[in-house]
Amino acid sequence: MSGGARTINLTLNGRPVSAEVKPHHNVVEMLQTQFGLFGARESCGQGLCGCCTVLVDGQPVSGCLCLAVFLDGADVVTIEHLSETGKLDPVQQAFVECGAFQCGYCTPGFVLMTKALLRQNPDPDDEQIRDYLAGNLCRCAAYPEIINAVRMAARETKAGSTG
Amino acid sequence: MAATTAPDGRAGHQVGRSLHRLEAREKVSGRAEYTHLMQLPGMLHAKIFRSTVAHGRIKSIDVSGAREVPGVYAVYTSEDVLKVIPDPYYGPAFHDQPILAVGKVHYIGEPVAVVLAADPHVAEHATQQIVAEYHELPAVFDEVEAAQNKTLVHEELRPAGTFADLKHLKGRRGTNIALDFRLRRGDVDKAFAAAAQVFEHTFRTQKVLHLALEPYASIADFRDDGVTIYSAAQGPSFVRTEIARLLRWPENRVRIKVPYLGGGYGGKLYIKMEALATAMSMLAHRPVKVALTMEEQFYTITKHPATLRIKSGIDKDGRIIARKCEVWWNGGAYADIGPRVTQKSGFTASGPYDIDNVAIDSYALYTNLTPAGALRGFGIPQLVWAYESHTDMIARALKRDPLEFRKQNLLRNGRPQATGTILKDAAIEKVLDRIADRLNWKQPVDHGTGTVRRGRGLAVALKAVISPTTSVAIVNISGDGSTTLYCGTVDMGQGSDTAMAQIVGEVLDMPAESVRIVPRDTDVTPYDMGTLGSRSLFHMGHAVRLAAEEARSKVAALRRELGEPDGSNAPLAELFLKKYGMQAGNIVGTGTYKPDYIPPDASGLTTNATPFWMVAGSGVEIEVDTETGHVRVTRLINVADVGKPINPKIVETQLSGASLMQLGFSMFEKMHIDGGQITNASLADYKIPGMHDVPRVMENETVDAIQENGPFGAKGVGELATFGVSPAIANAIDDAVGVRLTELPLTPEAVFRALRAKANKPLGRE
Amino acid sequence: MTPFDLVEPHSFEETIGLIEPDDPDVRVIAGGTALMLMMKAGVFRPRRLISMRKFASSLSGITATSSGELRIGAMTPLSALEHSPHVSRHAPVIVRTMRRLSNVRVRNVATIGGALAHADPHMDLPPVLIALGASVCVVGGAGERTIPVEDLLTGYYETALAKNELIAEVRIPAPAAARSAYCKVTTGSADDWPALGIAVTLAAGGATVKSARIAVSAATTKATRLTEAETALVGSTADDGTLKDVADIAAEEADILADGRGSASYKRELLRVYVVRAVRAAMQASGAP
Repeated sequence: MSGGARTINLTLNGRPVSAEVKPHHNVVEMLQTQFGLFGARESCGQGLCGCCTVLVDGQPVSGCLCLAVFLDGADVVTIEHLSETGKLDPVQQAFVECGAFQCGYCTPGFVLMTKALLRQNPDPDDEQIRDYLAGNLCRCAAYPEIINAVRMAARETKAGSTG
Repeated sequence: MAATTAPDGRAGHQVGRSLHRLEAREKVSGRAEYTHLMQLPGMLHAKIFRSTVAHGRIKSIDVSGAREVPGVYAVYTSEDVLKVIPDPYYGPAFHDQPILAVGKVHYIGEPVAVVLAADPHVAEHATQQIVAEYHELPAVFDEVEAAQNKTLVHEELRPAGTFADLKHLKGRRGTNIALDFRLRRGDVDKAFAAAAQVFEHTFRTQKVLHLALEPYASIADFRDDGVTIYSAAQGPSFVRTEIARLLRWPENRVRIKVPYLGGGYGGKLYIKMEALATAMSMLAHRPVKVALTMEEQFYTITKHPATLRIKSGIDKDGRIIARKCEVWWNGGAYADIGPRVTQKSGFTASGPYDIDNVAIDSYALYTNLTPAGALRGFGIPQLVWAYESHTDMIARALKRDPLEFRKQNLLRNGRPQATGTILKDAAIEKVLDRIADRLNWKQPVDHGTGTVRRGRGLAVALKAVISPTTSVAIVNISGDGSTTLYCGTVDMGQGSDTAMAQIVGEVLDMPAESVRIVPRDTDVTPYDMGTLGSRSLFHMGHAVRLAAEEARSKVAALRRELGEPDGSNAPLAELFLKKYGMQAGNIVGTGTYKPDYIPPDASGLTTNATPFWMVAGSGVEIEVDTETGHVRVTRLINVADVGKPINPKIVETQLSGASLMQLGFSMFEKMHIDGGQITNASLADYKIPGMHDVPRVMENETVDAIQENGPFGAKGVGELATFGVSPAIANAIDDAVGVRLTELPLTPEAVFRALRAKANKPLGRE
Repeated sequence: MTPFDLVEPHSFEETIGLIEPDDPDVRVIAGGTALMLMMKAGVFRPRRLISMRKFASSLSGITATSSGELRIGAMTPLSALEHSPHVSRHAPVIVRTMRRLSNVRVRNVATIGGALAHADPHMDLPPVLIALGASVCVVGGAGERTIPVEDLLTGYYETALAKNELIAEVRIPAPAAARSAYCKVTTGSADDWPALGIAVTLAAGGATVKSARIAVSAATTKATRLTEAETALVGSTADDGTLKDVADIAAEEADILADGRGSASYKRELLRVYVVRAVRAAMQASGAP
């Protein structure tokens, strides 16, 4: 067994799937080449920019630093899952409303991080937002708008869950 | 924000709406298309083997080991490229950059050979098996040293002659100077002799880079009858012209398709990976993708480091009567657009001041470093760094209030700028006043006591937009009245698609959201000089307006032809139905815009340097930790004259984003280079601003202004808020702790060293 | 990345058996964040990786003994420390440190054992663990042994671990009214690796410092205890005069290196300032995370 492909089974965006992966393939490559999912994308390749963020068992992970074989048995959610019904998720909608991006390359990562943050902490203050998102980079520097979007998403999510 | 039409069928004003970006939905759902993520059937991946020496003759390249790696499709060097492209040199100003190094390498990281494979891991692994030997040559890295021409980077310089504004470039031998721009107005020597006081300072800026999160990427699909190139390109029309030239083909056999860009900032201009991808596809007879890693971006294009010497003569009343500027631009191994940076920034090197005697010498220099090009400002941020620091230093030396000293000397509308062009629609004073108001300038600063000291600073700047340039647009109304816009402006996040749709909507009285923008494709979208230098909203905005106006007059003619009563508001679909008996036909309007321009004479003077002036400034409040030198920007204010904004919300985000990018260039971004080798070529060691670097208070404002000759009174935005940030912070540091930094970045160590030097306890160098 | 083989044993013992001490191209991978970086950069081209993932759950978890000693399985992800009520109660400095340690995604994957075994001098956790007096429980060919973290780290990316030894558990002793602080000093962006890290743990009786542990990192080749500075502090009330001496001694004692984040002379000044700030922060530290 020298670097040969192996089959892994996982839940991807709510559906059971299997994939043929080699040990050196990372999660981004697997999503792109085997499932045609391009929302997670490799940029810095060092886990520092967050463009490759995916949720693994509910927790955000850098897809570029995670070997695909490690997803065997995992529950994986990518940005594409959030609007699968055709309707934007409240976090996505807040990013639209607040103009919280420019070129859009980093945006899926920020959106998924925000989803994870609000699940862990539905009412974060600005410092908690900054701390949580500090590991995501936006070269267009839409940071002030992103903070506004997280605040709005928190309000909308709360309103949605109580009302 | 309502987008629906009113009951009378009118859409109302579209210009001035803070409309969300049209592509917002695609971007937040991860479905927007980017070249780096594209795949074609049968595509091969290219991985690049790069030079490890800064300057050398290639003795040998042994690719046999790479060819033996299982899964490798082919390995190519310039020897192969020359078989299909006999003259493989490209560039917007000089044809100096080879597709792969020919005979010599000119910088560390220069592409020397390429491995193609279906599996990118295989290609990458195979590049490690290539061995090249070089005969090393002396190298030059510093721009001032390069100007002495003791070590030559190129034996011969070959001008490109492509762009109208660079027609004067000359072929030369025996020099590293790609272009020297010279401006002489009045008599500076006489004025210096007459001046009550003369001040001279030298400033430096560092090498930084664009660092778009989507690294450079192109895919070429070469067929015998034509080539299609998918590319992350800011200027598809130029790419087409240049690839056609390299192939000796007519332009109509070259097709450039550009999806959204994951950031550009000037990096993705001109040719980047397109020529290499094309050559590889020609050789391999397969589609070839060249998609760089983050690290490789450090070896592709950067901003120009510069050394700037500036000297001013002041009369007894405090007026600046003479200013001399010498600027050395470190262009790296290939000219790219350095000559334009040198010349266009040269126009305004003396700043937004009314000075009768000006001398400017600006040199574009070759060195053995990664090439430098345009980065959000075409050299202006470097110049403003120098002249707004210098201006502040003079004011402080004269014990004058820096704001009042600036206002006394400010250039005002109706007065000739250094080039001799009369200033018009440039709200310099308004911008400066608004910054001062927001900083509450009249109130003294509480500088604080103890180890945290506070200060404030401001800076204001002027830029002449690049000219002359051309934009063409087509507006197409279909049989159901729905409307499509064809324009080559590339939306890389600046919101141009949205703004252009608003212009179409305004002219044709339809909601901007209903206008479809065709993705950029040179087979379909007409010529545009490039998405650069904040020119698009003005130039393409006019072209789009003209195209929409032509369509509108054709609609009016159709109404008359169909016997519609005057003032009829019958929907467009009904007109087509009436005319053709079914949903059919098109109304097509075209628009071409090229402003007037007079090239500078031998003294650098012209009465028409620019179709519009760009004006912006920044103000900051900061805190300095005197024990460590750490500077915290607590408040960042950006004020700009954008004429009448087409989309105020997008304008605000452009100002905010540009200023934060410049904050990184001001405070910490720096490519560390040792003997020509970049030692921090990754995001782990080259840091860009993140969430925690954003000042707690940010304010962005556009002054009430109108650009009389602009589309709906508007003008460009993209670069504006980069201008004033660096000197405003340096000025604030001086205000807070009384030390003056003249070199970027303003790191904690630089501040700390200056504090220790001031206290006569200089810190050791080890 | 160059292709490699991956094996996924089901137990600790099996893992140790698979290690080939003479082949540096065979390595154990835990969370993998650091190793992936080295592989992607081409600095490390493994022939085979041995993943501990299959039995990670048996090696992860945080417990507190009745005396308050924390026992943390080597495969426990850093995020588990961040959110653990035990850690929050017994070593709140760790929770505070986590907020600015790398980023959320890395903390979700990186393990405490992997972080220590990697021995990157820029990491935030090693100096904190040294200051807390932590040790690691190591299992390998020669059986089991316990190594204080300060002795585990022997140099730049170097540890005292034998090639066939693995960290099984990290133990943090009961706090005994200790107060701790960690200062991360960056000179680039706020999320940069530190130019200097400094961790302090004090035990105070009234206003007097009864014992002190001070560790410096990032500016040095490895996270290092500053014992002379500790000695100068103990017995004092951490008054200004003493702190000035502590700063001077620390600056003298630490072997500071220059790099892209600052010259040695500058980082020495940073150490002088921040050792004082860290001691003051520790003196004022409450039990809150």
